[in-house]
Amino acid sequence: MQPFIPSADTIPVAWGWFQFLLLLTFPLHLLAMNAMVGGLAIGVVLHFRGGDTRSQLAHRIAVMLPLVIAFAVNFGVAPLLFLQVLYGQFVYTSSILMGLFWISVVPILIIAYYGAYLYDFKFKGLGPVGKWIALGVLLLLFCIGYFFSNNMLLMTLPESFAEYFQHRDGSLLVSARQEFLPRYLHMMTGAIAVGALFVALLGQFRARDNTELAAYAKKVGLQTFFFMTLINAGVGIWYLISLPRQQMLLFMGRDLGATVCFVVALLLVIGILVSSFRQRLAVTLAGIVVLVYLMSFLRSWLRTDLLADYFNLSQLQVVPQYSSLLLFIGCLVGGVICVGWLITKTVTALRQEAGG
Amino acid sequence: MNYPVWYLPEIGGGLLIALIAVLHVFVSHFAVGGGLYLIYAEKKGLREGSAAILDFTKRHARFFLLLTMVFGSITGVGIWFIIALVNPAATSLLIHIFVFGWAAEWVFFVVEITAAFVYFYMFGRMDSATHLKVGWVYFISAWMSLFLINGIICFMLTPGSWLENQNFWSGFFNPSFWPSLVFRTCIAIMLAGVYGYLTASFTRDESVRISMTRFSARWSLVALAGAVPSAVWYVAVLPEPAKELVLGKSPTIVSAGQWGVAAVIVVVALSLVFGFFRPTLNTRLTALAAMLGALVLMGSFEWIREAARRPFAINEVVYSNMIFKDDLSDLNENGYLQSALWVQDRDIGPEQQLTAGKELFIQQCFACHTLNGINNDLLPLTSHMSHKALVSYIGRIHQVRYFMPPFAGTEEEAAMLASYIATGLHGKEPVDTADSGTAADPGMELFENQCSSCHAAEDLAPGTEEMEQAEIVELLATLDELSDEMVPFEGTEEEAAALARYIYYLNERDEAPPSPTDADGPGLFESECAACHTAEDMAAMLDGWEPAQIREALDTLDELSDEMVPFEGSPEEKDALTNFLHSLGREN
Repeated sequence: MQPFIPSADTIPVAWGWFQFLLLLTFPLHLLAMNAMVGGLAIGVVLHFRGGDTRSQLAHRIAVMLPLVIAFAVNFGVAPLLFLQVLYGQFVYTSSILMGLFWISVVPILIIAYYGAYLYDFKFKGLGPVGKWIALGVLLLLFCIGYFFSNNMLLMTLPESFAEYFQHRDGSLLVSARQEFLPRYLHMMTGAIAVGALFVALLGQFRARDNTELAAYAKKVGLQTFFFMTLINAGVGIWYLISLPRQQMLLFMGRDLGATVCFVVALLLVIGILVSSFRQRLAVTLAGIVVLVYLMSFLRSWLRTDLLADYFNLSQLQVVPQYSSLLLFIGCLVGGVICVGWLITKTVTALRQEAGG
Repeated sequence: MNYPVWYLPEIGGGLLIALIAVLHVFVSHFAVGGGLYLIYAEKKGLREGSAAILDFTKRHARFFLLLTMVFGSITGVGIWFIIALVNPAATSLLIHIFVFGWAAEWVFFVVEITAAFVYFYMFGRMDSATHLKVGWVYFISAWMSLFLINGIICFMLTPGSWLENQNFWSGFFNPSFWPSLVFRTCIAIMLAGVYGYLTASFTRDESVRISMTRFSARWSLVALAGAVPSAVWYVAVLPEPAKELVLGKSPTIVSAGQWGVAAVIVVVALSLVFGFFRPTLNTRLTALAAMLGALVLMGSFEWIREAARRPFAINEVVYSNMIFKDDLSDLNENGYLQSALWVQDRDIGPEQQLTAGKELFIQQCFACHTLNGINNDLLPLTSHMSHKALVSYIGRIHQVRYFMPPFAGTEEEAAMLASYIATGLHGKEPVDTADSGTAADPGMELFENQCSSCHAAEDLAPGTEEMEQAEIVELLATLDELSDEMVPFEGTEEEAAALARYIYYLNERDEAPPSPTDADGPGLFESECAACHTAEDMAAMLDGWEPAQIREALDTLDELSDEMVPFEGSPEEKDALTNFLHSLGREN
């Protein structure tokens, strides 16, 4: 049967611009999402285990949680936009096929977000209830990740689109497919690992005022990162072998670029495992940022290859409107300057506060 | 047709969009106006050296943050999700045309949330001048978000010259861009005042409560004063069909407009009381009443804007049911089911009548109509329509009701859709669509075809009880004077007479209804009068005559001329001939 693939709309500039912007912004979303999910996961464990230092660190995580949720959502907007431009015919379709679950992301996120604020603003007042609220928020975030993984996998499976006729109400999920579970776990385990680095970093804020907390956060963060990354390497291999053979071989010589990127990523994993084991926070942080970018590239290669029988980006018709790109670039430059100014003024004020 | 339809028959996508959108705009406009309000509230506190007002401002900022950052931003993403689920074709087009507009809006969103966090968390922790500048960065970026989104939303209603040149800037700075921007800015400021009532009503310090209530009232009243002319300007730039819908042709818009006017009255009244007469009356209850009024106002505006766009999702480009206007003629020629992508079974033999009809319902009607749902339920709207009436109505649907998209497909497909509605949904006897046959009563057939989509026969009887057939004929020619939703009957004189006869005998009459073929006005004219008179001569001669006069004259023709004799037909024939003679020259 001919797959049900809608025709694509035209694009205003060459597709490479969108691919560049997608690959530039998606890792930012991943890093923020990892700080959100992973940071909270560690906060919940610390809160349940109890003790002064652990509670202090859990509190810091709670204070930061609403902020990282805001940026995880915000940094998700841009890549989702560019994804829709490049792969709209696939991702709109997959979203409809799982519409009931996809739209439920919105109320779930609102509940989780308010839960996060409650956990932050009333951390002490909530007493023992707080940690259960935090756990509830964490489970909701895992649930959102589950729906995202479903959608991002389903959009690469046009041969499944015909199942629409049995799921017109938008109730289709692909979590029973063999590659789903390792894919989802790879994402969530990675989130906890990167979130652990975020926790280690949080502990360094005003480290001189609380050296014990700073040392503890660093130790816990880097240790957790080490073990979760080790586990995630195994999950990653599981994910790789769960892929269709063609796609698995993509990273094993079938495509030179993908293979080189894969090998570099593996070497980087070894490097950051060593640096985290040696409690080198800055190096590990730098390494993880690069690794998240490399992993995003691999993910993009995989998607391109899965869809190759049906579509490639060069098929998108360009109707040039480059002046609109200039609008965006102008706004982006202005936006970066504004955010830079806001951060500078905040840091200055905080320094003055600490000094005074 | 290019995308699948998310089919939830009892709910409908429109309701989900409305729910998310109305709540979102209520908060997102506050996110703009509220930013400016915070700056001036803080300045007021600083100017007056009032720690209590600064405390009020900080509490308001916290409420602002919790509402706009969480509910506002997530429902904003929610609108994007829901429109892509309900109308992916239009959404995809908007995304692809305006991708860099959306991307620029995202940049302002980043600045906005960063500034909002800095403003709240650094309140009282950085010097006031810098803190106020942070507030300005927040407000300007929030307003720029509005500026950008406004261009894209207005494009949907008034694409303007984009239709000819497909240029990004033509689409963005479209005809309704500026009036809408001014109107929305005013609404945003009005909302800032209304939300200010709420925080003020929770303030224990009475002097601050009074002071900030008065302060808030000024915002609401000034903004509302600006909103009224900009709303008029907004309506003035609408394309003619949309303007007609807004100005009364659409019953739903009229209803929404009435709600909007009532809401404005509530907000203005409360603002006058709070601002000038009794600020102490700003209690939690009255503040909530003002909030509710503002919510209804916002909902009414959004509802009108959305409804005015109908039958399109993007005006003149794509209909609400995802069918592109440019594809219409091909679909009518080649058939919808053979052309659309998401069709399970393209076989349209007699056995597939109902399944094909259901497919057509899902793809062409479900965008606006639910089944047993609370929003625009199709079942009561079609319960009194026969298959034949439905076929006729579906074929003329856009002409009869402009705000409904034309049916896209062949006549055979229209019959299938009618079968699904009449038989599949209402359980009426299936009709062999191949056998068009002739109705026993042409008047009844005309009624079913032309009237029954809106009127049940029994509903018309009381209104025509006192009327003669000729008067009904006259009425049929002037239906547009009865209601903006109706158009004059456009059939021939003979058809008008037949329809009038059918309507006339819906009531109990002294005489039994004649066999329709016995009282053939044009036929009688042909046989009894045409030997000496042409229809044109008669039209000129009878100009200004009432039906009763004509009817009387038929019995006394010998008094008019020695060459004539009184008409000797039956009363029904006299009526029919009267109707025909009276209708001459009135067909326009």
